[in-house]
Amino acid sequence: MSDLNKICNVLDKLTLDALTLIEEEVQMKLNIENAMCGGEMHLAKSRYILGQNSVSSLQLPTENSPHFEATVTVHSEKDELIGEKTRYLEVVKREDQIDPVRWFGYLVPQDLYHAQTMFRQALQWVIRATNLQMQLIETCGTIEQLKELKRKLSIH
Amino acid sequence: MATYSSAPGKLISVIGDEDTCVGFLLGGIGEINKRHGPNFFVVNKDTTVHEIEDCFKRFSRRADIDIILITQNIADMIKHVLQLYKHTVPAVVEIPSKDRPFDAAKDTILIRATKMYTTEDLGL
Repeated sequence: MSDLNKICNVLDKLTLDALTLIEEEVQMKLNIENAMCGGEMHLAKSRYILGQNSVSSLQLPTENSPHFEATVTVHSEKDELIGEKTRYLEVVKREDQIDPVRWFGYLVPQDLYHAQTMFRQALQWVIRATNLQMQLIETCGTIEQLKELKRKLSIH
Repeated sequence: MATYSSAPGKLISVIGDEDTCVGFLLGGIGEINKRHGPNFFVVNKDTTVHEIEDCFKRFSRRADIDIILITQNIADMIKHVLQLYKHTVPAVVEIPSKDRPFDAAKDTILIRATKMYTTEDLGL
């Protein structure tokens, strides 16, 4: 089989891979949307119970607030199968950390905890969407390189 | 999912409307440190495009941020900056917002992926 045919076969396979990745990424984004919608609905219910300004950006820490660290962070490891960096979430537990729900008071409605759960679920989908996105970018990069090679071979 | 880790992980930053930022900060991604400041930016009706651009550029230069979440309608406002952004770290992930459902036709990465092939490539 000539080099050109081999390149075309690989291009076909990579194109199918790219289409599959696009479909999976769109599904992840829809999952993120569903989780966020659920979370926002619970935020709205909390706002209805506590008051309009009691669940808003006014309760969020500012640059002048005491420093605090994130409880959810991202780690990366090289995936031997895919050969690319894979991200995963880690929840860090510390004795001095404050639950973000406490920014909104100590007697908060259950809806605020439900909102927290929904957005934590959304974060899981975000990580999966990011990993798919990275694979898609890598695949598209390879396709571009092979197309260039195919063009050069076609000229000769 | 909960584990103890010796190596510090990287952060997820968020640029979005109030509900999006409040929600994801409830999820535990928020951090404020002396060196870098906050890793979140709330966009409201008074926020200018220039401020959003500045914030995005600041987040993209931070070594402690691994993912930048940005809602799709705000990403539209700084599309000219996002189209030139080619780095994979931090990764930019466009997410839907409550004002606008997810539109695959406007996602920067998906647009780039679907424009890979021209009519010449397909033999049309």
